[in-house]
Amino acid sequence: MDKWKNPKLVLVSVNEIDLQNKEKEKRAQELLTANKELVFQNDEKEKRAQELIVANHELVLQNIENEKRAAALTLANADLLRQNAEIKELTLALEAAKQELETAYLEKQRQALVLQAANQELESFSYSVSHDLRAPLRAINGFTEILLEEYIEKLGEDAQYLLGEIIANSKKMGQLIDNLLDFSRLSKQQISFARVDLDLLVRSVTDQLCRLEPEREIQFEFDCPDAGFGDRNMLRQVLVNLVSNALKYTSKKQKTRIQIACHREENNCIFSIRDNGAGFDMMYYDKLFGVFQRLHSSNEFEGTGVGLAIVQKIIAKHGGKVWAQAQVNEGACFYFSLPFSS
Amino acid sequence: MENQEIQILLVEDNKSDAALTIRALKKHNLANNLVHLIDGAQAIDFIFGKGEFSSRDPEIKPKVIFLDIKMPKISGLEVLRIIKADERTKRIPVVMMTSSNEERDIMESHQLGVNSYVVKPLGFANFSKTIAELGFYWLAVNNAPRQ
Repeated sequence: MDKWKNPKLVLVSVNEIDLQNKEKEKRAQELLTANKELVFQNDEKEKRAQELIVANHELVLQNIENEKRAAALTLANADLLRQNAEIKELTLALEAAKQELETAYLEKQRQALVLQAANQELESFSYSVSHDLRAPLRAINGFTEILLEEYIEKLGEDAQYLLGEIIANSKKMGQLIDNLLDFSRLSKQQISFARVDLDLLVRSVTDQLCRLEPEREIQFEFDCPDAGFGDRNMLRQVLVNLVSNALKYTSKKQKTRIQIACHREENNCIFSIRDNGAGFDMMYYDKLFGVFQRLHSSNEFEGTGVGLAIVQKIIAKHGGKVWAQAQVNEGACFYFSLPFSS
Repeated sequence: MENQEIQILLVEDNKSDAALTIRALKKHNLANNLVHLIDGAQAIDFIFGKGEFSSRDPEIKPKVIFLDIKMPKISGLEVLRIIKADERTKRIPVVMMTSSNEERDIMESHQLGVNSYVVKPLGFANFSKTIAELGFYWLAVNNAPRQ
C-alpha cells in the first residue's frame, strides 16, 4: 500500500518531516555553535602551543646559561682548591720565616750579650788606662823633675837636656792618654739637645783661643746668622778643635786669615771654617778623621791625632756629616752639617 | 808609736806615688806624724784597731785621710763607704786622690760623703803644689770637730 495515497498518513508524515526538519535545524545550529567553540578552542590551543614554544626556547636558553654557570663554578672550585693549596704553602713558608726570625732574634740577643760584655770590657779597659797608665808616667815625670831640681849643679848640660826630653815626652804621653780617654768617653755620652746660637759660640771660642796666642795677628771673618740644634758642650768642643786646628796650621804663615760661616741648606745647618794655612794633600783624605792619624809630622805641627776624630764622632752623634777640602800650602776648609730636627 | 797622734793617714798602694806625695809634704813641713798604709784592708784595720793594728787605740783619729781610689783588696771607694757609714769615723775628713777624673768615681765619692776629690797632676811641680795645698788646708785652715 502506498501511504502517500492515504491523506491522513500523508499529513502525519508531513508533520513528522517538519518536526524532523526543525530538529535538524536545531542540530545544525548546535553544531554551528559547537564548531565555533572548537574554532575558539583551536585558537586557544595554538596560542598555548606558541606560548609553550617560547617557554621551551626560554628553557633551552636557561639550560645553556646554567651549563655555563656550572662550568664557571667548576673553574672557581678548582681555583679555590689551588688557592687553598697556596695558602697552605704560604702558611708553611710563614711558619718557616717565623722560625727563622726567632732564631735570628735569639742570635741577636746572644750578640747583644756579647756586645755588652765587650762594652764592659772596653769600659774597664779605659778605666784601667786612665788610672794605671798615668801612675807610672807621674813617677817618671816626678822623679825626673826632682832630679833636675835638686841635683842641677851636679848635672852637665847634656844631662839636663836628656832629663828635659824625658819630662817633655812623659807629658806628651799624658796628653795622648787624656785625648784617648776623651775620645772613648764620647761614645757613652748622652746628647742633650738645645738651640745653640752659633755666632755667640764661635766668638766665645775664638776669643778664648786667641788669648792663648796674643802675639799673633789673626784676621777673623764671621758669618753665622743661623742657630744650630745640638749639645752645647759638644758643639763647643767641635769648634774648639776646628778653630785650634786652623790656628795651628796657619802658625807658620805671616798673615792668618780664618773665615767662619754657616748657612741653611734644606733641613741642615752647614757650617764651614776656612783657613789659609798649611792645608793637606787630598790624596790622604781618607785618613783625615781617623783616630791617631796625622797628615803632618809632630816636628812640623804638634798634635796627637785625636781632634778631628772627636769632631767626626760628635757630629755623627748629632746625625750630621763632616768633610773637608784642602790644597797643600794654600789652606783647608772644614765643613759639618747639623740637622735641624733630630 | 802606734798610739801617737796622727796628722795625715796616707793610703796609697803605688810606691812611687807615695814617695812623691811624702816628698812633697816633707818639702812643706807637713809630713810630721804621717802614717803610710799600702791598701784598703790595712786602712780599715788601722782605723778601727783590728787585725795587725788590734793594739792601736781607734779613738786616736787622723786629722785627714789621703785615700787613693784604685787599690788592691779593698778599693778607696769601699774604704770611704765604710768610714762614712760608721758613726765613730764618719767625721774624719777624707780626700780622694786619684789618677783620673772618671765621672762615675767623682759622683760615687761625693754620694758617699767625700770631703775632697783631687786628681793628681802629672807634672811634679803641680803635683807638689797640690799636695802641699791639701795638707796645709786640712791641717791648718780647716776646723774639724773635736774628737
